[in-house]
Amino acid sequence: MGKITIGCFSSLVGSMSLDFAIKFSDAAVKKGHEVDLWLSGNGTMLGKKGQSKFRDYSYLMDTVMELINSGKFKITNCEACAKARGIGREDTVEGFGVASMDWYLASAFSTDRILHIGGE
Amino acid sequence: MRLAVFVSEYREPAMLERLKAEKLGIVLVQNGVYHAALKKDGNVSPVLSKDVEYYALSEDLQSRGFSDSDVVDNKVKVINYDGLVDLIFNDYEKTIWL
Repeated sequence: MGKITIGCFSSLVGSMSLDFAIKFSDAAVKKGHEVDLWLSGNGTMLGKKGQSKFRDYSYLMDTVMELINSGKFKITNCEACAKARGIGREDTVEGFGVASMDWYLASAFSTDRILHIGGE
Repeated sequence: MRLAVFVSEYREPAMLERLKAEKLGIVLVQNGVYHAALKKDGNVSPVLSKDVEYYALSEDLQSRGFSDSDVVDNKVKVINYDGLVDLIFNDYEKTIWL
Protein backbone atom coordinates (compact mmCIF):
# COMPACT_ATOMS: atom_id res chain seq x y z
CA MET A 1 0.00 0.00 0.00
CA GLY A 2 1.10 3.58 -0.44
CA LYS A 3 0.32 7.17 0.25
CA ILE A 4 -0.89 9.90 -2.06
CA THR A 5 -0.94 13.61 -1.39
CA ILE A 6 -3.62 15.57 -3.21
CA GLY A 7 -3.75 19.34 -3.39
CA CYS A 8 -7.05 20.82 -4.54
CA PHE A 9 -7.47 24.52 -5.13
CA SER A 10 -10.87 24.63 -6.79
CA SER A 11 -14.22 25.43 -5.23
CA LEU A 12 -16.96 23.19 -3.94
CA VAL A 13 -19.57 24.87 -6.14
CA GLY A 14 -18.85 25.58 -9.79
CA SER A 15 -16.05 23.07 -10.15
CA MET A 16 -16.03 19.28 -10.31
CA SER A 17 -12.50 18.92 -9.02
CA LEU A 18 -13.33 18.68 -5.33
CA ASP A 19 -15.87 15.99 -6.19
CA PHE A 20 -13.12 14.19 -8.07
CA ALA A 21 -10.63 14.59 -5.22
CA ILE A 22 -13.03 13.16 -2.63
CA LYS A 23 -14.20 10.26 -4.81
CA PHE A 24 -10.60 9.42 -5.70
CA SER A 25 -9.64 9.59 -2.01
CA ASP A 26 -12.56 7.31 -1.13
CA ALA A 27 -11.47 4.72 -3.69
CA ALA A 28 -7.83 4.96 -2.56
CA VAL A 29 -8.64 4.56 1.17
CA LYS A 30 -10.93 1.63 0.44
CA LYS A 31 -7.97 -0.03 -1.32
CA GLY A 32 -5.86 0.44 1.78
CA HIS A 33 -3.84 3.49 0.75
CA GLU A 34 -3.34 6.62 2.84
CA VAL A 35 -4.44 10.01 1.56
CA ASP A 36 -3.44 13.52 2.59
CA LEU A 37 -5.78 16.12 1.09
CA TRP A 38 -4.66 19.76 1.13
CA LEU A 39 -7.29 22.40 0.38
CA SER A 40 -6.28 25.85 -0.73
CA GLY A 41 -7.98 28.81 -2.40
CA ASN A 42 -11.68 28.24 -2.96
CA GLY A 43 -11.17 24.58 -1.99
CA THR A 44 -11.27 25.73 1.65
CA MET A 45 -15.04 26.14 1.26
CA LEU A 46 -15.28 22.40 1.84
CA GLY A 47 -14.25 22.87 5.47
CA LYS A 48 -16.96 25.40 6.30
CA LYS A 49 -19.36 24.32 9.06
CA GLY A 50 -23.11 24.35 8.59
CA GLN A 51 -23.39 23.53 4.90
CA SER A 52 -26.75 22.21 3.78
CA LYS A 53 -27.46 19.12 1.71
CA PHE A 54 -29.37 20.45 -1.31
CA ARG A 55 -30.07 18.23 -4.30
CA ASP A 56 -28.50 20.50 -6.91
CA TYR A 57 -25.34 21.23 -4.96
CA SER A 58 -22.30 19.07 -4.42
CA TYR A 59 -22.44 17.79 -0.85
CA LEU A 60 -19.37 15.82 0.12
CA MET A 61 -19.42 15.98 3.92
CA ASP A 62 -20.85 12.51 4.56
CA THR A 63 -18.04 10.92 2.53
CA VAL A 64 -15.46 13.24 4.10
CA MET A 65 -16.55 12.27 7.63
CA GLU A 66 -16.39 8.60 6.73
CA LEU A 67 -12.89 9.11 5.37
CA ILE A 68 -11.73 11.03 8.43
CA ASN A 69 -13.05 8.25 10.68
CA SER A 70 -11.17 5.66 8.63
CA GLY A 71 -7.92 6.91 10.15
CA LYS A 72 -6.23 6.73 6.73
CA PHE A 73 -7.25 10.17 5.50
CA LYS A 74 -6.09 13.61 6.60
CA ILE A 75 -7.74 16.76 5.29
CA THR A 76 -6.27 20.19 5.94
CA ASN A 77 -7.39 23.71 5.06
CA CYS A 78 -4.92 26.44 4.22
CA GLU A 79 -5.31 28.83 7.17
CA ALA A 80 -4.63 31.99 5.14
CA CYS A 81 -6.91 31.05 2.25
CA ALA A 82 -9.69 30.12 4.67
CA LYS A 83 -9.33 33.30 6.71
CA ALA A 84 -9.35 35.36 3.51
CA ARG A 85 -12.79 33.84 2.91
CA GLY A 86 -14.02 34.44 6.47
CA ILE A 87 -13.55 30.82 7.51
CA GLY A 88 -11.77 30.86 10.86
CA ARG A 89 -10.94 27.84 13.02
CA GLU A 90 -14.23 28.26 14.81
CA ASP A 91 -16.06 27.98 11.48
CA THR A 92 -14.17 24.87 10.42
CA VAL A 93 -15.66 21.37 10.56
CA GLU A 94 -14.37 19.11 13.36
CA GLY A 95 -11.74 16.75 11.96
CA PHE A 96 -10.31 19.21 9.45
CA GLY A 97 -6.79 20.39 10.09
CA VAL A 98 -5.92 24.06 9.66
CA ALA A 99 -2.31 24.84 8.78
CA SER A 100 -0.04 26.90 6.65
CA MET A 101 1.29 25.56 3.36
CA ASP A 102 4.28 23.88 4.94
CA TRP A 103 1.87 21.09 5.91
CA TYR A 104 1.32 20.45 2.20
CA LEU A 105 5.07 20.55 1.48
CA ALA A 106 5.91 18.21 4.35
CA SER A 107 3.24 15.81 3.13
CA ALA A 108 4.54 16.04 -0.43
CA PHE A 109 8.04 15.07 0.73
CA SER A 110 6.80 12.02 2.61
CA THR A 111 4.44 10.60 0.02
CA ASP A 112 4.58 8.11 -2.84
CA ARG A 113 2.40 10.01 -5.30
CA ILE A 114 1.28 13.63 -5.69
CA LEU A 115 -1.77 14.93 -7.53
CA HIS A 116 -1.98 18.73 -7.66
CA ILE A 117 -5.36 19.93 -8.92
CA GLY A 118 -5.35 23.61 -9.81
CA GLY A 119 -8.02 26.17 -9.13
CA GLU A 120 -10.58 27.88 -11.36
CA MET B 1 9.73 8.85 -15.89
CA ARG B 2 6.16 7.53 -16.15
CA LEU B 3 3.81 10.49 -16.39
CA ALA B 4 0.00 10.53 -16.14
CA VAL B 5 -1.60 13.67 -17.54
CA PHE B 6 -5.14 14.43 -16.39
CA VAL B 7 -7.16 16.32 -19.00
CA SER B 8 -10.23 17.76 -17.29
CA GLU B 9 -11.61 20.07 -19.99
CA TYR B 10 -12.98 19.63 -23.51
CA ARG B 11 -10.32 21.65 -25.27
CA GLU B 12 -6.85 20.72 -26.47
CA PRO B 13 -4.30 21.88 -23.88
CA ALA B 14 -1.29 23.37 -25.72
CA MET B 15 0.96 21.91 -23.03
CA LEU B 16 0.26 18.37 -24.30
CA GLU B 17 2.50 18.88 -27.31
CA ARG B 18 5.51 19.67 -25.10
CA LEU B 19 5.25 16.73 -22.70
CA LYS B 20 7.77 13.92 -23.11
CA ALA B 21 8.11 10.90 -20.85
CA GLU B 22 9.41 7.34 -20.97
CA LYS B 23 5.75 6.32 -20.53
CA LEU B 24 2.99 8.89 -21.02
CA GLY B 25 -0.66 8.30 -20.21
CA ILE B 26 -3.52 10.72 -20.81
CA VAL B 27 -6.35 10.34 -18.31
CA LEU B 28 -9.61 11.95 -19.45
CA VAL B 29 -11.74 13.08 -16.49
CA GLN B 30 -14.64 15.50 -15.93
CA ASN B 31 -15.42 17.31 -19.23
CA GLY B 32 -12.21 15.84 -20.64
CA VAL B 33 -14.16 12.62 -21.31
CA TYR B 34 -15.87 14.41 -24.23
CA HIS B 35 -12.58 13.90 -26.11
CA ALA B 36 -13.28 10.16 -25.90
CA ALA B 37 -16.98 10.26 -26.72
CA LEU B 38 -17.51 12.99 -29.32
CA LYS B 39 -16.49 13.50 -32.90
CA LYS B 40 -16.27 16.90 -34.62
CA ASP B 41 -17.09 16.97 -38.33
CA GLY B 42 -16.65 13.21 -38.32
CA ASN B 43 -13.19 13.34 -36.81
CA VAL B 44 -12.09 12.18 -33.38
CA SER B 45 -10.51 14.74 -31.08
CA PRO B 46 -6.90 15.71 -31.91
CA VAL B 47 -6.11 14.91 -28.27
CA LEU B 48 -6.45 11.24 -29.26
CA SER B 49 -3.86 11.49 -32.02
CA LYS B 50 -0.76 10.87 -29.95
CA ASP B 51 1.16 7.63 -29.51
CA VAL B 52 0.43 7.29 -25.77
CA GLU B 53 -1.87 5.35 -23.46
CA TYR B 54 -5.41 6.71 -23.08
CA TYR B 55 -7.90 6.26 -20.27
CA ALA B 56 -11.35 7.72 -19.59
CA LEU B 57 -13.15 7.75 -16.23
CA SER B 58 -16.36 5.75 -16.53
CA GLU B 59 -18.18 7.68 -13.78
CA ASP B 60 -17.63 10.92 -15.71
CA LEU B 61 -18.75 9.32 -18.99
CA GLN B 62 -21.92 8.01 -17.37
CA SER B 63 -22.78 11.30 -15.64
CA ARG B 64 -22.69 12.88 -19.11
CA GLY B 65 -24.99 10.29 -20.61
CA PHE B 66 -22.40 8.10 -22.30
CA SER B 67 -21.88 4.42 -21.79
CA ASP B 68 -18.49 2.72 -22.05
CA SER B 69 -19.38 1.56 -25.58
CA ASP B 70 -19.92 5.16 -26.76
CA VAL B 71 -16.17 5.72 -26.70
CA VAL B 72 -15.19 6.65 -30.25
CA ASP B 73 -11.69 5.22 -30.29
CA ASN B 74 -10.89 1.78 -28.92
CA LYS B 75 -7.40 2.77 -27.83
CA VAL B 76 -9.12 4.61 -24.94
CA LYS B 77 -9.42 2.27 -21.97
CA VAL B 78 -12.45 3.02 -19.77
CA ILE B 79 -11.61 2.77 -16.07
CA ASN B 80 -13.45 3.52 -12.83
CA TYR B 81 -12.12 5.22 -9.70
CA ASP B 82 -10.75 1.91 -8.39
CA GLY B 83 -8.87 1.36 -11.62
CA LEU B 84 -7.60 4.93 -11.54
CA VAL B 85 -6.15 4.47 -8.07
CA ASP B 86 -4.27 1.34 -9.24
CA LEU B 87 -3.10 3.19 -12.34
CA ILE B 88 -1.63 6.07 -10.34
CA PHE B 89 0.05 3.85 -7.77
CA ASN B 90 1.29 1.08 -10.08
CA ASP B 91 1.62 2.30 -13.66
CA TYR B 92 2.73 5.92 -13.26
CA GLU B 93 4.95 7.96 -10.93
CA LYS B 94 4.22 11.59 -11.66
CA THR B 95 0.96 13.35 -12.44
CA ILE B 96 -0.01 16.60 -14.09
CA TRP B 97 -3.52 18.10 -14.03
CA LEU B 98 -4.51 20.20 -17.04
